[in-house]
Amino acid sequence: MINFNQLKRIMSDILEVSLDNINEDSSPDNIEQWDSLSHIKLVMAIEAEFEVKLSPEDMTDMLSVKLIKIILEQKIS
Amino acid sequence: MLEFLKNKSINTPADYAKIFKEIKLIKHQFTPINIAILSSYTSEILKPYISVELAKKNYFSDIYFAPFNQFEQEILNDNSDLYLQKPNIVIIHNMIEDMYPNLASNFTKYDDEELDLITNQVIDRFRVILKSLRSNSKASIIVINFSMINIDMLDSVYSPTKQRQDQYIHNINQELLLLCNKINGCYSIDYMNIVLNIGLQNWIDRKLYFMARIPFAVKGQIEFSKMIAKTIGTIKNQACKCLVLDLDNTLWGGVIGEDGMSGIQLSEYYPGNVFKNFQRSILNLRNQGVMLAIASKNNFNDAIEVIQKHPDCIIKESDFAAIQINWVDKALNIEKIAKKLNIGLDSIVFFDDNPEERLWVSRKLPQVKVINVPKDPMLYSQSLASCNYFNFLTVTNEDKNRTKMIQESQNREELRDNSKDLNSFLASLNMIVSISFANNKTLERVSQLINKTNQFNLTTKRYSVVEVADLIESGSIVLYLSVEDCFGNHGISGVSIIKQRNENEWVIDTFLLSCRIIGKRIESVFLAEIINIVKNKNAVKLYGQYIESKKNHLTANFYKEHHFVLSDKNNNIWEYNMQKIPEKIHYIKTEVKS
Repeated sequence: MINFNQLKRIMSDILEVSLDNINEDSSPDNIEQWDSLSHIKLVMAIEAEFEVKLSPEDMTDMLSVKLIKIILEQKIS
Repeated sequence: MLEFLKNKSINTPADYAKIFKEIKLIKHQFTPINIAILSSYTSEILKPYISVELAKKNYFSDIYFAPFNQFEQEILNDNSDLYLQKPNIVIIHNMIEDMYPNLASNFTKYDDEELDLITNQVIDRFRVILKSLRSNSKASIIVINFSMINIDMLDSVYSPTKQRQDQYIHNINQELLLLCNKINGCYSIDYMNIVLNIGLQNWIDRKLYFMARIPFAVKGQIEFSKMIAKTIGTIKNQACKCLVLDLDNTLWGGVIGEDGMSGIQLSEYYPGNVFKNFQRSILNLRNQGVMLAIASKNNFNDAIEVIQKHPDCIIKESDFAAIQINWVDKALNIEKIAKKLNIGLDSIVFFDDNPEERLWVSRKLPQVKVINVPKDPMLYSQSLASCNYFNFLTVTNEDKNRTKMIQESQNREELRDNSKDLNSFLASLNMIVSISFANNKTLERVSQLINKTNQFNLTTKRYSVVEVADLIESGSIVLYLSVEDCFGNHGISGVSIIKQRNENEWVIDTFLLSCRIIGKRIESVFLAEIINIVKNKNAVKLYGQYIESKKNHLTANFYKEHHFVLSDKNNNIWEYNMQKIPEKIHYIKTEVKS
């Protein structure tokens, strides 16, 4: 299991939105700051924090917090 | 540094993002600084790293990122957003592969002359933008040099190409540095060195590169940002002028008062070599203009004796601008040193292995910069090198030899500026041309020149190493020429092959010069010596041929200008009357080596 709070904190820091505004359904559609550049920043931050390597496919699939969680859990297990 | 930034471990992108957020909330506590970054890639990703690294130096940075790959438009238009932002610092970071994509993808197709042309074009682009930037803005300019081209399609290419490419990047960086040195307030960052320190293999993250054209992985982004912050810090700070040193366990290992002259560690061997090496680092600082001083608690006579008499103490008494060896409080001694040298306490750096002394001095004299000296003496030099207190922006990371070469070529250009008359300029170069017969040791380079020279090449015939060897074997004369002038040695830079047609007739089959040395009448000297050499072989007739190529128009009239007469119009063959004595060029010394 990944630490969901840790993921939320990273998202909040990188996207510069408050922690309360991040939930499983958060996505580029409902968080204005989550643009393509932030997406890359997120990927770099998540890779370093969870010590995983994300593939280009993972990057394109990471379309919401929920999906990021699923992808990370697959990697870590 | 603000208290909350101290002792904090900031390593990952998330760490930086978090601290960046915190800094923004208290930005009024920092000195504001406006930065503009112009780059050929999406450099926005560097924002948290640069901001946090600058915050550690008490700056809050407002960073403007120009749209990527628009550096020329932004700089040349004096109404651009770049100038509206009124930057204190402008950073220019272009990847060579963005400026000339073919250099990365199709390097092998260029010959050396074409590469020289590309270098000129790149440098010209930089010259135009730097001059324009300089006249439109008072900002300090930081130019980032080029790194090895880092896409791994090159791995499959055989290694001489890679070497040639690396060499090329070195050359173009050297030209870039020369240019930067000519622009006021323009500094260069040795990006290539950062890349090499981390390693090319770790530098790139292929996903980032191919999906977002980001040329470096996270680690590189952070290291690069640190380098930028460090450079900005040095530009903005008044550099420190004086390094105050302790003696025992600093300049040597052990305590002189207890261990005596023969007991202290200072020699060519471990552990004494660690301290000797540190002394060398200190002397390097001195050579770069930093004053040295001693503040040591010791019996004066014991300590000074080491400096005066110890055979391995390479720092001499005369290297120190001030010496305080006594049992008085070090803070008082440092104040005395400052007074004697007439400098402010804030331009003094203190280096002492003893943490208590360091604490004492930093408490009593908070303006003095106290280096956090590592316990391990092997790390002393490094801690000094990375302390950021001394300004070495004008002295680059280039090795000494390179600095010398740069000076040489600068001198050469200055001379050209000053000499109105070409002949007097050429005379002032004190050229010495040596002409030698090719042998096994030089065949490689000779054949290389034969195969790559296009412009000053009368016949453009190509011969491999083996073919040249065969020519020598069969009695042809193969000559090469090297040139030295008052600035340095150009190495082997001309080749000629003269074939014997019969008993007393010779033909110049090949005659070429590297483009670096043309326009100095060296070609005339070379031809004159060829005439002398065949004359000594009892030649009655000497022929020369011109075979036109796309690139050798420069030499179309070469034989005519040197008093050859057209003898075969169809084949463009010229004949020299061996009775004539070739013109002598007085300002070029010539020697023929057998």
